[in-house]
Amino acid sequence: MAVLLIQMKLAVLRHSMTGRRAAQMVTGALTGLALAGGLIVLAGRDYPLASLPFDLLGVGFALWTAGWLLGPTLFGGGDETLRPEHFSLLSFTPRRLAAGLAGAAFVGVAPLVTLVAFSALVVVAVKAGVGAAATAVGVLAVVLQLVVCVLASRLVTAVLGQVMRSKVGAALAALVSAAILAGLHSSWVLSPLVQAALRTGFPAPFSACVVALPSGWGLVAVRAAGQGQWPTVAVALAGLAALGVMCWYGWAALLKRRLTTRRPSGRPVRVASGGWAKGPMTAVAARELRTWSRDLLRFHYLVFALCYALAFCLLPLAIDAPIFLPWTGAVFALWVAAISANLYGEDGTELWCKMMVPGAARHDVRGRQLAWLLVTAPPTLVLTAAMVVFTGEFGLWPWLAALVPALLSGGAGVTVLMSVLRPVPMTDPHRRGGNLLENGTDFAQVLLVLILTAATAAPAYFAVRLGPVWAGPVMGLAGGAAMAWLLGRLAATRLESSAPELLLHLRTGVSPKRRRPAAALDLARPHLPKPDLGLDKLGLDLAPTGRRAYVIASLTLCWVPLVAQGIVPALMLTTGHVTPSWLLALHLPQHLQWPTIIAMIALGLVLLTTGLGIGLYYLARSRRDGIKLDDGP
Amino acid sequence: MGPSSRYAALRLAALTKTFGRKMVVDHIDLEVPRGSFFGLVGPNGAGKTTSLSMAVGLLRPDGGRAEIFGLDAWADPARAKKLIGVLPDGLSMPERLTGRELLRFTGLLRGMELKEVERRAGELLEVLELDEAERTLVMEYSTGMRKKIGLATALLHAPRLLVLDEPLEAVDPVSAASIKVILQRFVGSGGSVVFSSHVMALVEQLCDHVAVIASGRVVASGTLEAVRAGRSLEERFVSLVGGQVPEVGELAWLSS
Repeated sequence: MAVLLIQMKLAVLRHSMTGRRAAQMVTGALTGLALAGGLIVLAGRDYPLASLPFDLLGVGFALWTAGWLLGPTLFGGGDETLRPEHFSLLSFTPRRLAAGLAGAAFVGVAPLVTLVAFSALVVVAVKAGVGAAATAVGVLAVVLQLVVCVLASRLVTAVLGQVMRSKVGAALAALVSAAILAGLHSSWVLSPLVQAALRTGFPAPFSACVVALPSGWGLVAVRAAGQGQWPTVAVALAGLAALGVMCWYGWAALLKRRLTTRRPSGRPVRVASGGWAKGPMTAVAARELRTWSRDLLRFHYLVFALCYALAFCLLPLAIDAPIFLPWTGAVFALWVAAISANLYGEDGTELWCKMMVPGAARHDVRGRQLAWLLVTAPPTLVLTAAMVVFTGEFGLWPWLAALVPALLSGGAGVTVLMSVLRPVPMTDPHRRGGNLLENGTDFAQVLLVLILTAATAAPAYFAVRLGPVWAGPVMGLAGGAAMAWLLGRLAATRLESSAPELLLHLRTGVSPKRRRPAAALDLARPHLPKPDLGLDKLGLDLAPTGRRAYVIASLTLCWVPLVAQGIVPALMLTTGHVTPSWLLALHLPQHLQWPTIIAMIALGLVLLTTGLGIGLYYLARSRRDGIKLDDGP
Repeated sequence: MGPSSRYAALRLAALTKTFGRKMVVDHIDLEVPRGSFFGLVGPNGAGKTTSLSMAVGLLRPDGGRAEIFGLDAWADPARAKKLIGVLPDGLSMPERLTGRELLRFTGLLRGMELKEVERRAGELLEVLELDEAERTLVMEYSTGMRKKIGLATALLHAPRLLVLDEPLEAVDPVSAASIKVILQRFVGSGGSVVFSSHVMALVEQLCDHVAVIASGRVVASGTLEAVRAGRSLEERFVSLVGGQVPEVGELAWLSS
């Protein structure tokens, strides 16, 4: 049966090797291979201490295994190429099905890449010169380690999939992923420690921890074999084998549960009166607030943002650096924005309800903005106030009073605009299995929203930096309100004009391509098909070549003067941590530094606004012409 | 504002839609007289849902026109959409609301007075026997309940034309009976109904007008009697869309 399932999986993989999926798969494989190559290089290098390569590999294997265990939870789904449900009506016992699916689980790019990565174990054995027998032990350990990794990943993903059907589980998962991500982002805290360890070796307790983890048992076996301690070799390898069997048993049990139980339905909900919703906009806000409290996914996101903000700002306390604490509220607001910029994608095809109500787009966008602020602003303000009191950093008030309102308003604007412009289609809420993992997070979107929301606070930042003391807070409040209003208006206009396309996108998952207007074709000239750069999607298909090039070049390059040569050196000068690197302003005499920075930022803004302006003009024109053609007689 | 009596309730003229290379709706012309109970029948994939979606403004056509009481559904959507109530098939609703909340928020979004919304919502829930599910979220509703709350949403603003896609698909007989009564009452009071179905008996039972769609084209349209041409609708339908009944002798292994 395993052979049959492997054949099925290979057939599915073959069919899905088209377009974006194939590109993703190849990119994933290349990235994985690069990392695996890194591990092998790490294993083959010379070190001042004999134990160092083993410790380093231990850490590498532990991280790699952690990626297998938690990756599916963080990045969504796990490998569901063959879903057990497809086979539930066939006459297999769950255990037999689990065996078959386990066999198929080893087919794919990820296990192959992992095999390459784990072969670093053999490399380190050869390099250390521990003998042929120990090298053979290494080969066996590589295989066992791969088995444990794949099966444990299945088990952990299944467990989390079950747990995440409840609010407690959703909160727990949010806590874990927030802690990991915040830990990664604060890893600079650890860098002095790591550098010391690379010279003098890792502290003994740390090494002990690394080899105690199952990911380090292969290393234990190889070292013990080199020293002739065969009982230890046997125990380590048997331990790996036993762990693999246990993971498989546990997974089979969960598989049975998954196939034979359904989540309870018809749970009564707490019904709030909602008496304050009396008009169209407040009605939308009230509906959104109910979604925030009743949707497990949104609840999960909210807890994640809170845990991330706390972990990220508290972790540096480990090296006595409380600098981030007053900004906890701001970090929270930023992350709530980042994870709630797919409002229409999450609601799915429900969009049709709004499309049938004349003029609903504007109310819907404004209502969602209001609800977002009602959800985000109170915790943000409380966190900020509490942390300022806790740290006693009252001198920061002009910064906080400027940036916190600016970020909140920017978030309220960017989230709705991004939800309309770049929706990520999801399974409709009533068709979701209740398992949060089925819908992965779109990291490109998260990153984009983080950057854009942070950018909306730039005017407030410069107002504090360059203006009188009252300028920052005024700019934060007034400029922020204007920003939220403007971005909301853009979102509403866009929603109004392209709701049918958005609905089609959410329904089919395929971004609709507008037809190229016939007028753009020049029939007098023989033309070859050009490579599709997605210009019609950008609305640039109608622009003359020169302007098209300017838009693309300015929007690509504006970030260099704006961020890299403008905002970054400005931040360095403000904070006093100056690293000149390639930052032009910092290589100039002091009295020229700020003028250069301002000039760079101005240049960046000019490029950005002109590029955006021309681009949007042609986008509107292309859309108008496209519609005219569509509606033509 | 009363829709002008000169116009048909719904008129489609040369409506066209292509997905990829496939022309799903191929220049459809259709006229639904006001006050009629109009059935749209056709095999799966014939283009019924696509046509109705384009008619009500949910899917942008590649060409052609859709008029609702003489108003262009794409050029003047705000006025056209006030006159119609829509129940699509298989699309999501605001799933995390209870039925009453859904009606309340939909009414408020339409700019109705809260009091009036509450009154209508109460009546609709009662008539559709949904008032017992007061504390249940729409996402937990059964298929029949979903269709009923969808119908309530479509009726809330007292439209003049109902466009329903498979309104009785997978609905239990009891719910189906109450939906049928409400639709007949709606037509009796001067409203018009267009609905798609592939259940011939249902169309024969409810409709006075019918159109048969196959491969994106209208192959027959008119009063029920005219389309039937003296036969049962099912026989006529099979002969129109060119289906064939399996011959004796095929699938013989099933009887072993």
